[in-house]
Amino acid sequence: MSLNKTEEEQIVRTICNSHCGGICEMKVHVSGGRIVRIESGDEGEMSHRMCARGRAYRQRVYAPDRVFYPLKRKGPRGAGEFTRVSWDEALETVAHEMKRVRDTYGNASILHFCSMADAHTLHHVQAFHRLLCLFGGYTAPWGTISNEGECFASGVTYGLRPREPQPWMRRTEEEYINARLIVMWSWNPVTTRQGTRASWSLACAKERGTKFISVDPRYTDSAATFADQWIPIKPGTDVAVLAAMAYVIVNEHLYDKPFIDTYTFGFDRYKDYILGLEDGIAKTPEWAESISGIPAATITDLAREYARMKPAILATGYAAGRTAFGEQFHRAIYTLEAITGNTVIWAQPAAPRALRHICRIPSPPNQVEMGVPSRWNALPYRSASVNSSARVNVNLLADAILKGKAGGYPADFRFLWLSNTNYLNQLAEVNKAIKAFQQLEFILVTEQFMSSSAKFADIVLPVCTFLERNDLYASGDGGIYGLVSKAIEPLGESKSQLQICDALAPKLGINDYNDKSDEEWVKYIVAKLSEEVEFPDYNILSNQGFYSKKFDKPTAVSNKRLEDSEQKIFPTPSGKIEIYSQIAAEMNHPLIPPIPKYIETWESSNDPLAKKYPLQLITPHFKRRAHSQFDNLPWLQELQFQAVTISTLDAESRGIQDGDMVKVFNDRGQAMVPARVTERLMPGVVSLPQGAWYTPDENGVDHGGCANMFTKNETSPAGAFVCNSALVQVEKVEK
Amino acid sequence: MQYGIYFDQNRCTGCFACVEACLDWNDIPAGPASWLRLRIVEKGKYPDLFVTFLPVACYHCLQPACVAACPVNAITKREEDGIVTVDRDACLGKDSCGLCLDACPYDAPQFGAEEEAKMQKCDLCLNRWAVGKNPVCVDSCPLWALDAGPIDELRAKYGDVRDAESFVYSEDLVPSITFKPRKDTKGLVVQKIEISPQSPIRNS
Repeated sequence: MSLNKTEEEQIVRTICNSHCGGICEMKVHVSGGRIVRIESGDEGEMSHRMCARGRAYRQRVYAPDRVFYPLKRKGPRGAGEFTRVSWDEALETVAHEMKRVRDTYGNASILHFCSMADAHTLHHVQAFHRLLCLFGGYTAPWGTISNEGECFASGVTYGLRPREPQPWMRRTEEEYINARLIVMWSWNPVTTRQGTRASWSLACAKERGTKFISVDPRYTDSAATFADQWIPIKPGTDVAVLAAMAYVIVNEHLYDKPFIDTYTFGFDRYKDYILGLEDGIAKTPEWAESISGIPAATITDLAREYARMKPAILATGYAAGRTAFGEQFHRAIYTLEAITGNTVIWAQPAAPRALRHICRIPSPPNQVEMGVPSRWNALPYRSASVNSSARVNVNLLADAILKGKAGGYPADFRFLWLSNTNYLNQLAEVNKAIKAFQQLEFILVTEQFMSSSAKFADIVLPVCTFLERNDLYASGDGGIYGLVSKAIEPLGESKSQLQICDALAPKLGINDYNDKSDEEWVKYIVAKLSEEVEFPDYNILSNQGFYSKKFDKPTAVSNKRLEDSEQKIFPTPSGKIEIYSQIAAEMNHPLIPPIPKYIETWESSNDPLAKKYPLQLITPHFKRRAHSQFDNLPWLQELQFQAVTISTLDAESRGIQDGDMVKVFNDRGQAMVPARVTERLMPGVVSLPQGAWYTPDENGVDHGGCANMFTKNETSPAGAFVCNSALVQVEKVEK
Repeated sequence: MQYGIYFDQNRCTGCFACVEACLDWNDIPAGPASWLRLRIVEKGKYPDLFVTFLPVACYHCLQPACVAACPVNAITKREEDGIVTVDRDACLGKDSCGLCLDACPYDAPQFGAEEEAKMQKCDLCLNRWAVGKNPVCVDSCPLWALDAGPIDELRAKYGDVRDAESFVYSEDLVPSITFKPRKDTKGLVVQKIEISPQSPIRNS
């Protein structure tokens, strides 16, 4: 089909998966070597249809600000002044610096981080990992930016990694559709996406009469579309409310005693905390009201409904876990699920998820991690490598660069390689990251765009988009697999991540980096997958493009009790869901209590700092971006402008009107952005969507509206990224 | 035969997939012209709120005001399917004329940023019907909130409902639409109505 009938269009089927959490079918129309338009899947109401970002992807491929050629810095770091150089010169420079740094300071002084942007399987962290391991090793990060609080909570409560990468994926679509009550707790799937199927399932549930309650500082689009009730909550106080719900459930005997007796460990210890026997404070709804701003009667009703309306789903996002003690949030959620018998356990434990270890390019061990002891907060489900104290928490790279060994980090870092990430923009405290970056001897960035981070590079290597290379999507999330097929040749001189490593290897003296083409790698991984699980043949994949497999449905154990109640189904010390975690107890850290506890966050509304900076900042996802990706595309920019959202009440007291330019500031940074004045936000809270590109003026004031100007570069005790515990002030800018 | 649109307002999450799909399929650059836009309605005061969405394109009215307003007959209502199309070569341009935009209560006539921009509008994806496909907005919706086809068939299938939140049905123009509306039952007061992407700026 064509608007221009003279030229035939070819349709290439592929998979859109750009760190949004979604895995969607994409049909790319190509004519004369150019992408002319893009369509979604059309397999009826089971299709995984793309969101706005996927539909706008053509503009990403042809964006004028793409990096098309290797670039070498000519101005000062961060100024964004570069000269075009040949691939050979760029790679020679990189190789020379890598060898110099290794020979002078050792392999551990090379730090590499690869995030998830446009990544899939081959052009992902494993490509770099293999190269760097063959080079003698490097310092790798541990932990996740998205949900380390949840990873920790799951590890100590269940002994497992979070059962799926997204909270949504923990449950099947059927379970959502069949739930009687869905509590969306800091969960906004309409915007954070996690696959458009999430919203579709919720709409189906709504049509069947499921009740929806949203607990969130914002009246999100998910709340607007689905919620029967919105309960605004002060950021960082979730655990107090969950404890008070448990108080009501315990007091009114609404808990599921058989479930607790069979499947949980340590309920009595939690009960002691809830009832005040441990610390003299009963965690009553009145107590939680004074902390959270939610009326006690509302908390009581919520607790009763959640305990009685089974099956009920506590659908959580990660935002409440990205607070100063974020792991407590997920621990408290798991506990409330367990005491009401609403816990879900995969009938086939994590079957789809387990495929990840196969879907990778193999690699020799990282010498830097060999024989190094584990960290104090190592989790049993993680590999020795990830648990190694030779690694640095992914959220603390800036701190690690600034402090090095003297600050307790495993090495002094000299060389930084960033790929598939806009690290400077997306991690806490931009101004601190800038200081850290300025201190390094060399920065290599492999990127599609001149991002905020790329501006600080010494060499930028141009990466193609996923429409310009072959790959495989097969990690199994939701049982979806498929070939990621090249639609067009790489634009300019851009290369895929694997090609870049391939080209760099010989210059580093590595001759056995890669003996396969992308297609051969895909066939190799497909063959490996077929050995372990039922998996479609390569030919089926290449004909079909997109393959969705139904796995055995996970079952709520409250509905389907296991016959042997003594069976140790959780790899925890007790074999049960540990409300009292023996793993956490062994860590013996005062701020990682063995039972989930409310601990007041730093920079809460009670902090003395609130006199100076009275507004609690939250930094949610934005509908038209996937983190910092897609921020530069005009088609998406015209949908919503970057702005700080402020409640009518707080705007009025500051003389701010909708659309006014305002200054957002705290001790860590300043930004100038327009204000959006709304009823849809709890007073006392302001919301600045994360992902806007840091665009400083000569005074270091950001005009892009980058949320991490204000966040604090410190993790939760368990290592979670903290982007929702920051105080700021907002002032009108007089024209 | 009259083609039209069905919209389930309860299912719309305001995700903009339809808007982006329209821009991509019809190759419309970012700027003032956007054949399909989203109307975002905020009602009520904190914390008692009602927010909903409405896609705004061309409703291919039975009595289109734009056709009547055009002084040079550049706008046609097609006999065979009632789809309203524009002959851009015949259009006088926004600066000299713009009467169609003034006449249409739904801002269906759209204009680019260029001087004397010629009118452009939703043609219900004529080039997709030609190969047996729905309009791209319908085929892009991840919630299956949209449908299109002969309006009689749509009304037989989904019911004949001409009222939805933030939609004003014109008895004179007879837009070819049927809804599954989402209504605010509490009678909350409208606080804000946004159109995204921004609607065209009128000459006046």
